[in-house]
Amino acid sequence: MQGADKPTLDRRTVLKLSGAAGVTSLGAIAGCLDDPTSDEDGETDEIVITQGQFIETPDPNDHITGPYFNIFDQIYEPLFNVTPDLDIESRVVTDWEPTGDGSTELTIRDDVQFHNGEDLVASDVAFTFQRMIDDEVGPISDQAAGLGAIEGAEAIDETTVRVDYGDAAPSLAEYQFGNYGRVVKEDWVGEQETQEGAIIGDSADAFNGTGPYQVVEYEPGVEIVLEPFDDYWGDEATFNTVTFNEDTESSGRVSALQAGETDLVDNVLPDDVSTVDEADGIEIRNETSLRSIFLVMKNGVEPFDSQEFRQAMNYAVDNQGIIESILGGFGEPMTQMHSEGIFGYNPDLDPYEQDLDEAESLVEESGYAGAEITLHAPEGRYLNDASVAQTAADHIDQLENVDCEVNLRPFPEISDGASQPYDDDGIPFFLIGWGVITGDADYAIDPWINPDHPLETFRDEDAFATLEESKAESDSDAREELLQELNADLRDKAPFVFLHSQDSIYGVNQDLDWEPRRDETIYLWDME
Amino acid sequence: MPLGKFLIKRLLQGIFVIWGVVTLTFVFRAISPGDPVNMIVDQRASQAQREQVRENLGLNEPYYVQYYEYLQRMVTGDLGFSYREGRDVLPIVLERVPATIELAIAATIVALVIAIPLGVISATRRNEPADYGATLFSLVGISTPNFWLGIMLILVLAVEVGIFPTGRRPVALHDALWLFLTTFYVGDLLTWVKHIILPAIALGTYFTALITRLTRSGMLDELGKPYVTATEAKGLPGVLIRYKHVLRNTMIPIITVLGLQLGTLIGGAVITETVFSWPGLGLKLITSIRQLDWPLLQGIIIFIGISFVVINIVVDGLYAYLNPRVIEE
Repeated sequence: MQGADKPTLDRRTVLKLSGAAGVTSLGAIAGCLDDPTSDEDGETDEIVITQGQFIETPDPNDHITGPYFNIFDQIYEPLFNVTPDLDIESRVVTDWEPTGDGSTELTIRDDVQFHNGEDLVASDVAFTFQRMIDDEVGPISDQAAGLGAIEGAEAIDETTVRVDYGDAAPSLAEYQFGNYGRVVKEDWVGEQETQEGAIIGDSADAFNGTGPYQVVEYEPGVEIVLEPFDDYWGDEATFNTVTFNEDTESSGRVSALQAGETDLVDNVLPDDVSTVDEADGIEIRNETSLRSIFLVMKNGVEPFDSQEFRQAMNYAVDNQGIIESILGGFGEPMTQMHSEGIFGYNPDLDPYEQDLDEAESLVEESGYAGAEITLHAPEGRYLNDASVAQTAADHIDQLENVDCEVNLRPFPEISDGASQPYDDDGIPFFLIGWGVITGDADYAIDPWINPDHPLETFRDEDAFATLEESKAESDSDAREELLQELNADLRDKAPFVFLHSQDSIYGVNQDLDWEPRRDETIYLWDME
Repeated sequence: MPLGKFLIKRLLQGIFVIWGVVTLTFVFRAISPGDPVNMIVDQRASQAQREQVRENLGLNEPYYVQYYEYLQRMVTGDLGFSYREGRDVLPIVLERVPATIELAIAATIVALVIAIPLGVISATRRNEPADYGATLFSLVGISTPNFWLGIMLILVLAVEVGIFPTGRRPVALHDALWLFLTTFYVGDLLTWVKHIILPAIALGTYFTALITRLTRSGMLDELGKPYVTATEAKGLPGVLIRYKHVLRNTMIPIITVLGLQLGTLIGGAVITETVFSWPGLGLKLITSIRQLDWPLLQGIIIFIGISFVVINIVVDGLYAYLNPRVIEE
């Protein structure tokens, strides 16, 4: 650059000043606003809850997803209080009595108001049930699967609803209608914009429940802000402002918790647990969930048609070892088709414990020595699923007389294979997870052994007969006994390699007084 | 060739590209393993529910019928229906677009503010420490994966130092601006700025490095040309020569790259949006993949494809307008 002027000093000065101004501006921008989630005095009158999944629809009767219910329950409130032991207690429904002719009458409180000021009446409750089970009335709802025994509902008068379930046992119906029923106002739904029967909307106006909190801001996919509903019939709300938002990454949720931007995060991965443990002011809280992980074996396909072979697979796998090594200890070995706390759980059953000699001997007995099997597993669908599958397959492969390899494949392929008949040999051995959302063993067992269900993978007439008997047993104790008996029978028949019930792991602000529940539900009224 | 004819030609090419994208998304769904219904409904769904969804989506029809109906819907702007979200795909996509555009523009601004002065300094101080520094910065910037940079920015500046939030977008720019313009309330605008700085840096770093290099090489080319010597001989100040004459000529290719990169930024914000929970198209794309929401996934890909084509046509048009030799060639 000969010949050109070099006003270097001036330009440098300008650049320095510009840089300093830039940094100062950034600092000013960064510092000029307080963190919106924290109070100056440190008092917790507002709370932020960050979930891995956010609601995608404002319709409370459409999907069957736990994180959705955590949001909807504060706004729409459950009809019943579901206790941590999964029993139901009075709430909006004050009393319920089976009539003895295939229905139960629910008595509704007469002082319940929707957020728009209208009264809740029995016909709203009946309409809500119809909406979930009949896609002519509402959307094609996933919740219909949890209400399998419910045939319909009808208002008898202003405060009485009759729920019909035909030949099904009252206690089975109770577990189903007791867990669903986020009531919507029929007239209000009629005024809403809907698509395929589901309420749509992108503002606070798309919500109208009877719960202790009402929606003041809603930005789809981003956040929903709640404030107490002044005319709520029950106890005063604990928090002045509640915000639910989403971060799909476990590490992102943990960073937000560390930075004090949120007070509670769900679904912390075991790899991130130590980060929370080592940070000040936050901690891990966990509880064994109702979600179990297992390896399905279709008994219409060789070698899984042999009970001895299926038992051998159970003896080959070291469940406790997988929990310790892959899940960081955050799980419990399965002893039966579902985890503890579910109605029908059999406390007398023990998990299969690894016994390679016994496993090899059972394989010999089965006549399938030398079998070569493939375990199909998804990756990223469940907690460390690929590692769990690989380890389980390695354990099986240790047997002298069985070769086992893993085939990781997209979940749709697994789901597709699971939906094929029980004797379809496309994907006869696969890893899958199942959450028992109704709290009743029927929900855990029926799909797998019911010949009418798309997911039937295990055909056994005796087991299915016992299940059918339990469905119709009106005495609750006798029904529980039948389900426990069925669980014991199925443990021996081993339709699955029973793996584990995984823990729900939360990162929590230490100041928050709250304990996780087995059903993974977050109720704000349980927090202080 | 007249400009109008040139634009029509580019438009027709663009339509062909969009048709290709639409067709590919259909083919990918068709050849993907598994029953599409199983990807849409909950695994607990009954056989009756599965059949209902199959019928509603026309999945009982042969592929050529499905493809024809699919094309018909696309032509009318109907991107399909997301059963996961219970509503049409188009509004879902449209409500996500502003966040992505905000991020892309912010990343571009970050890039320009840093890259152009750096490129000029680098060129005018060739083979001096400033040049080495700028070159090193370019190399590092181009080589650094933006997801890693994003995570590091969060850990250092959000978690440890605590001067920026870890992510999310609590307020939309247009809402914040409207509030500011109508009430002079600046709080929301500052909140937006505070939240976008880290994602914009993470997304814009590669772009910054690229523009720095382009500016440097462009400046070096121009500085050797006779008009520079002539202006120097006339006694014009060096600053004026570099920033008024040389940089202006250097800007033509940079503007072209800017336009093209804007399209890339829109499509490429996927990882950055995920790391920062920035609620744009990219984050939604990842969610739709995780939830196997095929209609939404197809809709987003088609929308990104269309955006890219439109931006390209606009940039080509502008470039042809500014430099008519492009048309003649």
